[in-house]
Amino acid sequence: MKRLCAVLGLLVALSGLPAAAQQPYYAGRTIEIIVPFAPGGGSDIDARFFAPFLEKYVPGNPRVVVRNMPGGGSILGANFFAENARTDGTQLLVTSGSTMIPYILGVPQVRYDPTKWELIKVNGVGGVLYVAPRTGVRKPEDLARPAERLVYGGISATGLDLVTLLLFEVLGLDVRVVMGFEGRGPARLAFERGETNIDYQTTPAYLSQVVPLVQQGKAVPVLSMGFVNERGVMVRDPSAPDLPSAYEAYQALFRRKPDGLMRWKAYQSMVAAAFTFQKALWAPGGTPAEAVQALRGAVDRMRQDPQFREQGKQVLEGYEVLRGDLAKPAVLRATRVTLDVKRFITELLRSKYQVRL
Amino acid sequence: MAEALGAAVELFANPTRLGMLMLGSAVGLVVGILPGMGGIVAVAILLPFMLKLDPFAALAMATGALAVVHTSDTITSVLIGAPGSAAAVPTMIEGHPMARRGEAARALAAAYLSSLLGGVIGALGLTLSIPLARPIVLSFASPELFLLTVLGVSFAGNLLGKEPLKGLAAGLLGLLLGTVGPAPAAAEVRFAFGQVYLTDGIDLALVALGVFGLAEVTSLMARGGAVAQRTELGTGWWEGVRDVWRHRWLVVRGALIGMWAGVLPAIGATAGTLMAYGHAVASSRDRSRFGKGDVRGIIAPEAANNAVEAGDLVPTLLFGVPGGAPSAMLLGALLAYGILPGPRIVTEHLDLIYTVVWSFALANFVGAGVMFAASPALARLTYVPFHRIAPPIVLAMVLAAYQETQHFGDLVSLVALGVVGYALKVTGWPRGPLLIGFVLSNPLERYYFLTVHLYPRPEDWLLRPGVVVLALLVVAPFAWRAFQWWRARERPAEQERGARGATTVATAVVLSVFVYAAWTARGFLPDAALMPVSVAAVGAVLTAVQLARELRGRASAVADEDEPDAPPQVVGARVRRATLYLASLGVYVAATWYTGLVWASALWSLWFLRRVARLSWAASLAYTAGLVVGLQVLASVLGLYLPRGRLGL
Repeated sequence: MKRLCAVLGLLVALSGLPAAAQQPYYAGRTIEIIVPFAPGGGSDIDARFFAPFLEKYVPGNPRVVVRNMPGGGSILGANFFAENARTDGTQLLVTSGSTMIPYILGVPQVRYDPTKWELIKVNGVGGVLYVAPRTGVRKPEDLARPAERLVYGGISATGLDLVTLLLFEVLGLDVRVVMGFEGRGPARLAFERGETNIDYQTTPAYLSQVVPLVQQGKAVPVLSMGFVNERGVMVRDPSAPDLPSAYEAYQALFRRKPDGLMRWKAYQSMVAAAFTFQKALWAPGGTPAEAVQALRGAVDRMRQDPQFREQGKQVLEGYEVLRGDLAKPAVLRATRVTLDVKRFITELLRSKYQVRL
Repeated sequence: MAEALGAAVELFANPTRLGMLMLGSAVGLVVGILPGMGGIVAVAILLPFMLKLDPFAALAMATGALAVVHTSDTITSVLIGAPGSAAAVPTMIEGHPMARRGEAARALAAAYLSSLLGGVIGALGLTLSIPLARPIVLSFASPELFLLTVLGVSFAGNLLGKEPLKGLAAGLLGLLLGTVGPAPAAAEVRFAFGQVYLTDGIDLALVALGVFGLAEVTSLMARGGAVAQRTELGTGWWEGVRDVWRHRWLVVRGALIGMWAGVLPAIGATAGTLMAYGHAVASSRDRSRFGKGDVRGIIAPEAANNAVEAGDLVPTLLFGVPGGAPSAMLLGALLAYGILPGPRIVTEHLDLIYTVVWSFALANFVGAGVMFAASPALARLTYVPFHRIAPPIVLAMVLAAYQETQHFGDLVSLVALGVVGYALKVTGWPRGPLLIGFVLSNPLERYYFLTVHLYPRPEDWLLRPGVVVLALLVVAPFAWRAFQWWRARERPAEQERGARGATTVATAVVLSVFVYAAWTARGFLPDAALMPVSVAAVGAVLTAVQLARELRGRASAVADEDEPDAPPQVVGARVRRATLYLASLGVYVAATWYTGLVWASALWSLWFLRRVARLSWAASLAYTAGLVVGLQVLASVLGLYLPRGRLGL
């Protein structure tokens, strides 16, 4: 009985506390992160990785839950967010490259506009292109004359594979593209079985799955998709610094710089949108500045946390988490492509890959 | 082997790990009982806790949960005919009729014991196959995977029912339903009717919940009374154990089928379980009791669905290619510990793998033990008037449907699929082939196109030894049956059961679906059109033949599948009541749009309890209040936001 009284007393005291102190905006609230993909995917893992750190570092320690709303290749969840999200900072959205590509291409089902949202954080990922040893390709220059025809296994021309297709276009490669794999994992299995001989993986997957194959002499890395820095220049992938970027590969193949070429512009903006700024966390437009600041401040603080760095090593794979207000100009630049670039991409998809947009 | 023993000692001697394993199993068992919820929900609930533990304890916890969800999902499948997951459908098809005969205890005992043995065989297989798994998995190239899906589809041939034409057409209908959404080999979204909701296709969990679960619950509501039609208590526990012993090799074969379906990409867990069911039918001499409660039809799939989870860990851990969403989430959690799946895991983290194996085996014992202990009490539910327990079941199914994608479309799909399922049920269309067709439609199409595009010359893939062997496995049973038929030369007399009517209307509707689909699909891109056009064309021909026969007076009357001898007036009255209940569920979903899920659920429950179950006002109100509280508690545990509705209630 005594203990019960003590507990009750404590509860009364606690419930009185917030009224006394200056209450942080998020005290007692629940933040819901909408993931427009099914559980278990990259964006889901990203959101679930960030959730406990947001709980810890957003002042007021709100509860953070993840809500999966898959459908329409993430269009459905993003549309829901654009049209119905609460603007008090309690609903956030994670987007991925496959949310941005349809927006950039102007797919008719898209009813969202990220330029109207508040960016909280963004972190990226790179990609590594590798080939089978029997192609005889050792370095980017060899891609023009492989010992056997290059065969690539993809998922769908309108998803992240679009970046690879544009890369083939930039480098002028003759590749037989077979679409229809369920994901990059099964496509990699097909490479291991010898059914395809050129493949790419995101850099984390490359480091864990393909590097052992490289060590056994069963795969040869050729180039990285590249990373677009804040000045809009393509640099080497920070997680694969030994590999030439696509920019360098073009120079090696053609002995000139690709800048100014339409296909290069298309490739670089897609790399930025789909890789460099792949996982973005947004609050809806109209969210109170107080809330947005609290969230962005939490991003800064969690980056100092040794536990965040330790656990983030694999999830973020050496890529930096950028605070939203700092990264926003670069992210928006990546989503704005000129009309002629858009037309170039649609025409490429229509003529080579039977895609009607 | 030293690592294996070391991991075992560590696991059993470490109270934290053992405790977390038990906790995980407890969550897995509870989630498994809820219809339509399985591994994904269990892992999602556990994930926040896992990240606070060391990797061994976290893995023990997650494995504990995944190992037992298919043990406890048996309960609802057997007792109320609502499969806990798509993989539990065979158990429902055979176990529920047994429950109606008062043999719930026997069915449950057989199911738990087979689950346990399947899980243990799976864990054993996992241990033995870790060194070999990599080359074996890689030896199955796209053509072999394509033939495996063909083999899976051919297993539907064992489940055709008493009207083979309808059975075949039902399988084709399933294949057609599976083509809704994005085409695997071409950039085209098919049969979406302008709805973004449909552009990812129809969800398997919704098909299981609607076509089987809701249809069955509706039929029980329409029949009234208790689930069990005989009142003597089943003495069946011991009987169930003896059944498993009698069919011990079937347990082993079922577990092996399940395990390999988990290990190889393409087939998937649900199809593996259905294949084990098909195998149980195919390997039995007397098939007459299948579909009416044959215990062999429980034993094989239950052994398979626990073994699938063990097999699934091979591609997840060794290749980083998860077989399903739960294992994908497990992978994500491992990443946070710096544990990367892939070739190196065997050399660097073998102790971790064996922790998984042992946790898996141990959890299977825990799961089966707990369910054995809890089931006598739960089996009594079959003697309670069903109307009184229907509202919480329906609400749980609605909530389960809603958590799939959390769009309003989930609720509409649930009721629409429920209507389809009930209509198929009363007009004699077997739903087993439909489910097999549905789950294998996408892999079949995907691996067909991958095969022909990766191997442009047909002789390159048709002559591969694996392809030849698998092709023989597909063809042999049909050849054998044709031979038997030829030897017997005595076709069973067609039963004429008079009355055309509703069944003929149903056949005509199915025919028009096929014709419409074939007509629409002509306009798709070639690689998107091939599958739907050919499936719909063959389906249209078969259904047209069936329709012609029915019009010539060979139709079977509308019947209660579960009670074939019921007089027509009784069946007619039941169908009318079922129609009313399905309509009321339609109103329920429509009301959700305006009033939100909580109020709509409350109104529907109140209506049902007052008008159908005929409880007093006081009892109905109290019951409904309890349900609303329960709904919200469940939603908050699952982290779900219930839709508010236009009125903002």
